[in-house]
Amino acid sequence: MGDFKFAKEKLTDVLSALKDFKVFAPVKTDGVVRFQEVADPAQVSLDYSNSNVPPKELMFPETETLFRYRLGGTDLDVANPAEGPKRVIFGIRPCDAQAFSIVDNLYGWDFPDPYFQGRRANTVLVGLACADPCANCFCPSVGGSPASEDNVDAMMFDLGDTIYLKGLTDRGEEIASAISGAVEAAGDAEKKAAAGQAEEASGKIQRSIDTSGIPEKLPSLYDHPFWEQFSDRCLGCGICTFLCPTCHCFDIQDEVEQFDCRRARMWDTCMFSEYSLHTSGHNPRPTRKERTRNRISHKYSYFPTKFDVIACVGCGRCINYCPVNIDILDILEKSKQAEAKEEQTA
Amino acid sequence: MVDLNKLRDKAKEVLIRDDVRRLIGWKRGTYGFESAPVVLKDASEVDILIWDATCVQNLASLLTLEEKPPVPRGQEPDTRKVAVMVKGCDSRAIIQQLIEKAYERDDVIVIGLPCRGVVDRRKARELFGDLAVPAEAKIDAEKVTIDIGGDFKTVERKDVVMDKCLRCRYPNPLVSDTMMDSEIEKFADDDFADVEEFEKKSPDDKWKHFDEQFDKCIRCYSCRNVCPMCYCVECLVTKLRPQWTRRSTDISENTAYHIQRAWHLAGRCIECMECQRVCPVDIPLMTLNRKMTHDVKEMFEYEPGVDPEAPPLLASYKPNDPEDYIM
Repeated sequence: MGDFKFAKEKLTDVLSALKDFKVFAPVKTDGVVRFQEVADPAQVSLDYSNSNVPPKELMFPETETLFRYRLGGTDLDVANPAEGPKRVIFGIRPCDAQAFSIVDNLYGWDFPDPYFQGRRANTVLVGLACADPCANCFCPSVGGSPASEDNVDAMMFDLGDTIYLKGLTDRGEEIASAISGAVEAAGDAEKKAAAGQAEEASGKIQRSIDTSGIPEKLPSLYDHPFWEQFSDRCLGCGICTFLCPTCHCFDIQDEVEQFDCRRARMWDTCMFSEYSLHTSGHNPRPTRKERTRNRISHKYSYFPTKFDVIACVGCGRCINYCPVNIDILDILEKSKQAEAKEEQTA
Repeated sequence: MVDLNKLRDKAKEVLIRDDVRRLIGWKRGTYGFESAPVVLKDASEVDILIWDATCVQNLASLLTLEEKPPVPRGQEPDTRKVAVMVKGCDSRAIIQQLIEKAYERDDVIVIGLPCRGVVDRRKARELFGDLAVPAEAKIDAEKVTIDIGGDFKTVERKDVVMDKCLRCRYPNPLVSDTMMDSEIEKFADDDFADVEEFEKKSPDDKWKHFDEQFDKCIRCYSCRNVCPMCYCVECLVTKLRPQWTRRSTDISENTAYHIQRAWHLAGRCIECMECQRVCPVDIPLMTLNRKMTHDVKEMFEYEPGVDPEAPPLLASYKPNDPEDYIM
């Protein structure tokens, strides 16, 4: 596999060389970083820690049309996300890429989801290793690392003035050959610098959790009052789930505009009361206590029990953006303590 | 300066009362420049309470957010009082909630905290970067001293407090059962310069601005949920039958949502700025609210959340009310 480098100022040339692909990359607007389709390569900024909204929106859009139909008609115009030019997500963080691999389990499970899988198959991931993890990052606790190459097709390292790009898969090689005119071969110096940076970045991770035993034990805390320590101040908004790279729940709605209709799906969240509201009016998760419990238990117990992997990548977004400081690491630590207390009293 | 021991003693005194079921205050957060709200149910827990310039959240929201599912047959719902700690701005939310009869005055015990301002986490991060440890912050008339794990940083007050604090007209709670400190003299005023500045834009530029901002919205509804005045049991935007606002995110539905919300807050917004603080994609939500506040003040000489005896704006009428906006 090839190793390449290019001067950072040549980034626009590299992006321009990917003209046969639909390129998505981080764009910073008024301090907010989000992945967008690149219209102008000069907009792209690799100088960011974690995007405000994770690039999951590129595989699993906030709102997507499943099919269109006419009222009274019988023809369905089914959307095919696998169609169109091949896509590249350029500069994705290792944690956000890991999230795709985790969600693959579900979207490839009992009913293969053609929309998610179609986009997945049609997308090449060019990673960007973290040199400066955020204060609340904890990826090493959940099987990741700031420079993990496990879930990307190629990996970039920002070495100051130079970007070092490492091809990892056949799809990564495809990218490398497309940009071959804009890059040069990397040497041992870059490889060494990248390895050093990866190690240094791991050392900068400040928060952690020992997850051993948590998936097995959370169900035993189902009725434990410790959840209320967190749910009592929960606002019930969608920040933690919408910004979570592994949260994958959606609602399906039919939208009618005179005779033109579409069936669309859009992000939904277990933190909203409507999420679990039954037609009868009964709600099996009547308060934020049950909803908070579900969010944590789903990530750290139900999902790993079913798919053998924790549905959390340690990106820290739910911690960073929660308006009332509901901190998933705090909840997990308290869940361990809550249990110890129970054992003592038992 | 509020004596923390006195504050905790007061909390204990309140919580041991038979007619009080919970107390809402602040505790130290797990990281960064913001505290965490905390709901205490037992007097033994009061040592967790804090008060400093990191206590940014408006706790009045938690009064109306509390869910009260039906109790099992034969049981009575717990209707005992809730105690809540408030800053000057937060107290206006209590008054407005009382004006609207969200609850009765006897249902709450208000513990008042005179306040010189709270830290804006966005400004603090620009100055000091991300923190994995929780900071403490002391504020006086000129300076804010931030304690980051024993490392003290002093900055000009104006550089790190929230915008609302720079134009604060009510540093002292306007409603309280007990005040934890002597009153602070009013130190700022509001000239609505931000509103006038925005109004100078052409209609096209304004529309472009809102298009760009609302396009970012992910409809997490954190602005609605954190708002002390958004406490409808069933919100118009999430109502499913009939459905007034689509759940899909696009510029049309997002704009409809934000205009509806701003409109429903006309004459009600008490400018705690919580909506803008919590937005994960930094939409400057106060732009619309501030314009409403300005208009309501200019046209109807009305200010929400200051007089518990006043009627709600939309339920009041004066013969000389302007009507030139009616076609």
